[in-house]
Amino acid sequence: MRIRVKLFATLSRFSKSEYSGAPFEIEIPEGTTIQDLINLLKIPAEEAKITFVNGITQPPDYLIKPDDEVGIFPPIGGG
Amino acid sequence: MLNPEQKERYSRNIKLHGFGEFGQEKLLASKVLIAGAGGLGSPAIFYLTAVGVGELTIIDPDVVISSNLQRQIIHSTADIQRLKVISAKEKVKALNPDVHVTALAERLDESNIRRLVNTHDFIVDCTDNPATKFLINDVCVEQKKPFSHAGVVSMTGQIMTYIPGHACLRCAFEEPRAGTALTANDIGVLGAVAGTLGSLQAAEAVKYLAGCAELLIDSFLFLDVAHATWKKAKVKRDRYCLACGEKANRIR
Repeated sequence: MRIRVKLFATLSRFSKSEYSGAPFEIEIPEGTTIQDLINLLKIPAEEAKITFVNGITQPPDYLIKPDDEVGIFPPIGGG
Repeated sequence: MLNPEQKERYSRNIKLHGFGEFGQEKLLASKVLIAGAGGLGSPAIFYLTAVGVGELTIIDPDVVISSNLQRQIIHSTADIQRLKVISAKEKVKALNPDVHVTALAERLDESNIRRLVNTHDFIVDCTDNPATKFLINDVCVEQKKPFSHAGVVSMTGQIMTYIPGHACLRCAFEEPRAGTALTANDIGVLGAVAGTLGSLQAAEAVKYLAGCAELLIDSFLFLDVAHATWKKAKVKRDRYCLACGEKANRIR
């Protein structure tokens, strides 16, 4: 199934989009959780703790549905 | 009691819904610690000074360098090589003589943080590294002190407010391993983004101290200026949180 992914801030380096940080589409198997998606995109676990689906925060074990838009946020430590 | 000059100076604060003269009196009687006089700290210091917080303590060990000036708007070209806290203190005094400033040219660390947190009503975290941000979180949780967290890099930023009993920074994020987080040195930072986040931190401090309006608690606000979007994410308090959980083993 196809879903949309948006990687925020410093996570944009893991983006599949040619425009860093822009949302991109990705094909994933049925039964994929947010944590599986994070692993698939090779994002280190400690960099991806806040995750949204369609604008609402969801836990890592959320089962992704077709056409979901998943947003993943890293901690930002600069000042 | 506000004197006639103060009633005039702060008239636009006083007219705010839920603020009033009582809110202003509370601000003038408050002590705020601002950790960092850089990109976040510059607007936070300016706005907390202008709004009339009675006592500000600014802590930062660094001197101003030329590459600070595209975002650290409290400092000017003539301040290069001067201590940031001295430069900032001068701007505060020029802006508002009601505000008493203490300038500490030292690093906020294990040696001084407990004393400083303990003697202030609200802490504004404008530091530039994850280790100090998590130290501020842990000590504020330990001492039941409210604080504003923010971070900024590139064209993105995040902000949350902690008050005792609510989710803390560690409920949302694990502390990154030293040296793993990308910084402004690596990928730059836009001054206006730091300015936006630092201004919001000042607003959070004012709302808490004056006792008006809603705080950004149990949630994060993420700003992505590169794609012109804001997102607010709810954060639940983590009962196993190492800092604020029921069985928190004191990590410090």
